[in-house]
Amino acid sequence: MKKWFAAALFVLAVGYTAYGLTTQSLFTSSGRPAAGFFPLVIGLLLIVSCAVNLWTDVREWLSEHAAGIAHIHQVDTASEGTAEAMGLDTEALDGGPEFGRDVGIVFAYLCGFVAILKITGALLAMILFMLVFLFTFNRSHLVSNVIYSLALPGFLYWLFKILLNASLPKGPLGF
Amino acid sequence: MFADIVSNLSLGLSIAASPEGILFLLIGAFVGMIVGLFPGFGPAAGIAVLIPLTFGLEPTIAIIMLAGIYYGSMYGGTITSILINTPGESATVASTLDGYPLAQKGRAGPALVMQAVASFFGGTIGVILITALAPSLASLAASFGPSEYFLIIAVGLLMLTTMMGDNKFKGFISALIGFAVGTVGVDVMSGQQRFTFGSPELIGGVYFVAVAIGLFGVGELLHCILNGQHREPAKKLRISFRDKEFWPSKQDYYESRYTFWRGSIIGFIAGVLPGSGATLGSIIGYSVEKKIAKDPEKFGKGEMRGLVAPETANNAASAGAMVPLLSLGIPGSGATAVLLGAFMMWGLQPGPLLIVNDPGFVWGLIASMYLGNMILILLSIFAIPLFVKFLDVPYVNVVPVIVLLCVIGAFAINASIVETWILVISGLIGFAMKTYGYSPAATVLALVLGSMAEETFLQSYIISDGTMSLFWERPVSLVLSIVLLTIIAVPLTVATLQRYRSNRMFSSDDKA
Repeated sequence: MKKWFAAALFVLAVGYTAYGLTTQSLFTSSGRPAAGFFPLVIGLLLIVSCAVNLWTDVREWLSEHAAGIAHIHQVDTASEGTAEAMGLDTEALDGGPEFGRDVGIVFAYLCGFVAILKITGALLAMILFMLVFLFTFNRSHLVSNVIYSLALPGFLYWLFKILLNASLPKGPLGF
Repeated sequence: MFADIVSNLSLGLSIAASPEGILFLLIGAFVGMIVGLFPGFGPAAGIAVLIPLTFGLEPTIAIIMLAGIYYGSMYGGTITSILINTPGESATVASTLDGYPLAQKGRAGPALVMQAVASFFGGTIGVILITALAPSLASLAASFGPSEYFLIIAVGLLMLTTMMGDNKFKGFISALIGFAVGTVGVDVMSGQQRFTFGSPELIGGVYFVAVAIGLFGVGELLHCILNGQHREPAKKLRISFRDKEFWPSKQDYYESRYTFWRGSIIGFIAGVLPGSGATLGSIIGYSVEKKIAKDPEKFGKGEMRGLVAPETANNAASAGAMVPLLSLGIPGSGATAVLLGAFMMWGLQPGPLLIVNDPGFVWGLIASMYLGNMILILLSIFAIPLFVKFLDVPYVNVVPVIVLLCVIGAFAINASIVETWILVISGLIGFAMKTYGYSPAATVLALVLGSMAEETFLQSYIISDGTMSLFWERPVSLVLSIVLLTIIAVPLTVATLQRYRSNRMFSSDDKA
C-alpha cells in the first residue's frame, strides 16, 4: 500500500500543478508575481519530490519482492526510529498484529455517519453510529452497549446544542 | 525591566486567576492528563479535537484551557510509561527507560510522585524563562522584515523534517502538501480565487481546524485501530497514595538535585528550537544525564535520575515551545501549530506585536501556565488512583467518543457538511501518512503558516526585484540563510560520505 500512497501523491502533485498552470497567471502585467506563482513553485517541488519518493518506494518494494519479504506489520516509523535510537523494543512502542480490515470497517462507518448526518439529524446519527460500532467490535456487552449508545450522544448533544449553542443538523424529528 | 515583568504578570494573574480562568484551566489540565494517558493520542490530537468545545468562551480563557491540555498531556503520558511500559505520548518515551524498571522494583509510587515533581519543576522553570525571554524576543522580532520571517518558517519546517530520522524526505513532502492545501482560497496579494473549483465554501480556504482534527484525531485513531488497540482488554491497575511505599525517599530527592536543573535547561532549549520539541528534549536530557553520571550502569535498571531527567526536560520543552509561538507567531511542533490555528480562529494576530496589542491575552496565558503547573502537580499526586482508573476503560469504548467529538466538532465550527467531509478525507490521509512514515505535524504546520510563507516570500521577491538578494543583504537574514543551508547541506554530505565509504568497503572486499 505504501507505494500506492506514494503514487497517489505523485498524481495529485501533477494534477495540482497542471490545474494551477491552466487556471492561474504567473505574473501580472507589471511583471510582478501573480496568484499562480507560489503554487507553481510548490507544485514543481511536489512533483520532483513525489517522483523521487515514488521511485524509492517502488525500488524498495521490488527488492523486497525479489527477496521474498512480506510485510506483516507496518509500524509507526517515527516511533520505531525513536525506539531504535534508545535501544528499546519497537513492539513495546507500536507493535503487534495488523488490523487493516478493522480500519476499513471503522472508516466505512465514519463515512456512513457523515452521510446520514443531515438526513437523520445529529442525535440520531450519533446513536446509530455508536450502536453499529459497538455491536461490531464489542458484541459481548449488549445492555451496556445500548445504554452507552444513548447516553454519550445525549450528553454530547446537550453539550454542543444546549450548552454551547452550536449549530447541529436537525432531522425529521426536530433534533 | 523586572518591574515591567511584575506588572505584566499581575495583569495576567488577574485574568488567569479569575474563577472562570481557574475552572477552565482545571478542565484543560484534567483533560490533558487523560489525553496523555491514552497511547497514540497525542496533545496535538487532543487540542484539535477539543477546539470546538471552546466555542462561546472568551478567547483568553479558551486558549488557557487548550494550553492546559497541551502541557497537561506531558504529565499524564508518564503514568502509563511507568506503570505499563507504554508511553502515553512520544515525549514520554524516554521515561519508560527507568520509570518501568522502578515500578517493577516495587517503587511505582515514588516514581509517579517524582515524575510529578520533576514535571512541575521543569514546567515552572520553563515558564519563568518564557516570562524573561518572550518579551525580549518579541521586541527583537519587531525589526524583522519579510525575508527573516520567511527564513524562520523555512528553518522551522526543515528542522521538523530533519528530526524524522530516515524519513526526512517524506517529512519534506508532508510540509509541501500543507503549503499546497494552504493555497486553496483567495490569494492574499491579488484577491484572485485559486483551486476553489467553483465551491463557495472553499473561497475562504480549507479551514485548518477540520484538517487538523482529521489528520491528528481521526488519523491517529485509525492508526491505533491498525495496531489493534481496540481489541486489547482493559488494564486493571490499582494504586493508592495511602500506601507506605508511595512517597519518594530523601535520597531520591538528594541524588536528583542537579538533574532537575540540567533537564530543565536542556528541555527548554530543545523546546525553543523549532522542530525539535519535547520528544527530542527528553531523549537528550536522558542521554546527557546518563553520560555525565558516575554510575551510568544503574541507568535503565530503575534509576530515579533516569526518570527525573526526561520528565523535567519534556515539560520545560513544552513551555519553551511557547516562546517562538508567542514572540514570533511561529510554532515549532504539531501541537503548537494547532494552538496557533486556535489563536487565529479567535481573531488574534500572532507575531511580535501580539504582546503589545494583546498583553492581557499573552500574560494571561503565561500566568495560567504557572497556575497550571501547580494544579497539575496536585492532580498528578493526589488523583493518580483516579487517572489509573481511566485505564480500566477499554479502548473500544474510547473510539466512539473520539469519532463523535471529531465529526460533531468539525460540523459545528461553520455548520458545514463540506468541512465535515474534509475532516473524513484528512483522517484517511493522516492515517496513511502516519502509517507510511510521513509527518502530519509538518503538514499542519505548513498549512497554518502557508499564507504567511507565501506573503513574505513574494514580498521579499518584489522588494529585491526578483533577485532574492534580501535573503543575504540583511544581517539576520544572512545568518538564517546560513543556518538553512547548513540544515540542508549537513545531512546530504553525511549521507554522501557514508555511501562513498560503504562503496569503498564493498570494492575493497571484492578485491580481497
